[in-house]
Amino acid sequence: MSERGRVLFWRLLILVVLIGAWEWLTGIKAISKTPGLYWIDPFFISRPSMILRRFAYLAGGEARLSIWAMALSTVQSTLWGFVVGVSTGFAAGLVLGRNDRLARVFEPYFIAFNSLPRIALVPLITMIFGFGLLAKIVLAWTIVFFIVFFNTFQGARSVDADLIHSARFLGASQRQIMRTVVVPSTLAWAFASMTPSISFALIGVVVGEFLGGESGGGLGYLIIQSLGTLNAADMMVALLTLGVIGIVMALGIRQVERRLLRWRPEYRQGA
Amino acid sequence: MSFEVADAEFVAIVGPSGCGKSTILNMLGGLVAPSAGAIEVDGRPVTDVPPRVGYVFQRDTVFPWRTVRRNIALGLEYRGVRGAELEARVREGIRLAGLEGFEDAFPATLSGGMRQRVALMRTLVVDPEILLMDEPFGALDTHTKLTLHAELLGLWEARHQTVVFVTHDLSEAITLADRIIVMTRRPGRIKLVHDVRISRPRDVIKLRETDEYAHEYGVIWHVLGEELAEPGP
Repeated sequence: MSERGRVLFWRLLILVVLIGAWEWLTGIKAISKTPGLYWIDPFFISRPSMILRRFAYLAGGEARLSIWAMALSTVQSTLWGFVVGVSTGFAAGLVLGRNDRLARVFEPYFIAFNSLPRIALVPLITMIFGFGLLAKIVLAWTIVFFIVFFNTFQGARSVDADLIHSARFLGASQRQIMRTVVVPSTLAWAFASMTPSISFALIGVVVGEFLGGESGGGLGYLIIQSLGTLNAADMMVALLTLGVIGIVMALGIRQVERRLLRWRPEYRQGA
Repeated sequence: MSFEVADAEFVAIVGPSGCGKSTILNMLGGLVAPSAGAIEVDGRPVTDVPPRVGYVFQRDTVFPWRTVRRNIALGLEYRGVRGAELEARVREGIRLAGLEGFEDAFPATLSGGMRQRVALMRTLVVDPEILLMDEPFGALDTHTKLTLHAELLGLWEARHQTVVFVTHDLSEAITLADRIIVMTRRPGRIKLVHDVRISRPRDVIKLRETDEYAHEYGVIWHVLGEELAEPGP
């Protein structure tokens, strides 16, 4: 078996064992006079078979708000938050990274704002932007922006001075230096922050959805609603869907990274 | 210190490390302002990176995110050369540098010698009148170095740029230059200005077996040796 196949085999085995154990352990009745008492109670952590049933129901046409609609809403808000956060963070990182005085002026503000727990902003953001898409995007943005900003800033500061000099000798203007030296060399740094950014955008969006109510839908709404109805199965459906969304987005970013940073030796093989 | 470099002259500056060879070059290139005195190119004082000056660094400054072709195209792109003319000049550069077959390779896949070829050709393709070179072959092995000496001389014979070449390798200086400036230890001053009386075109390999070469080497080595032998302050 190839190395790849072996890794895949173990991954699948662990998955099967976990699901099997989950299904089996939550099926064992406790030895007790009280009927319906379980050794590990599926009331709290549900069971794979139950989750599957609930998923089928939520995915079918009967549910008032289908799992697809909710997932789509979450993905949409996340991508918006990610795109807005990454682009503004990258731009701000480039500008401040290449301008020492500006960086010194803004430093305390950035540090102060970044050390605020973003969750604490949720009520304020809700007050200003309401419960809709915009509030979720803003929340995701407040997190993503800083992650990307700090990485880009570091990257923009550590651009090799000799590369800039050689561009100048080749006749580059300041703009051309920015485009052909600073941006490409900073991209590698910025990409290091992309995968965490997607996760954090997702966090921001789900927290926003906790408060958002049915209007925006979203998986965060499903989670909060399941808490209200003490429905562990629905909660698990939402969590597992979030997990899948996270994986797919991270893989997508890795593809883009491979493409844009294909000049780096570590991406050379098979890229 | 004071010296002049004539048009189309190949001048090498040698001296012990730390004597300020590279600093002179950086001042000529407008990267560093002199603390006193003046530097002029074509009678105009140097205040910024001057136009028509090419600079080849000791460190590898090929852009790692651009292929060989696009590295060589850089200077032309900056100057707004586009389309067919760009392509033709880049292709010519690749041919002159002997990099055919590697047009679309990224620098990370090339050897040090080939990367330095790219750097040299990237500088030459925009046709500079003055070429500043800061130990460009310092990190290469002897064989690659000799190959690049031959190539550099070939390219120089065709264009006769004014070259200021900094090195700590005396054989390299004798092989390439018309005139050698020997510097003293820190604080660097000019110790000797020596005209190399070896006819051109030169064969970089056979040259080393000749009496002229041995003579030139002996004379300069004696002077340079004094600088290396004396203990520091």
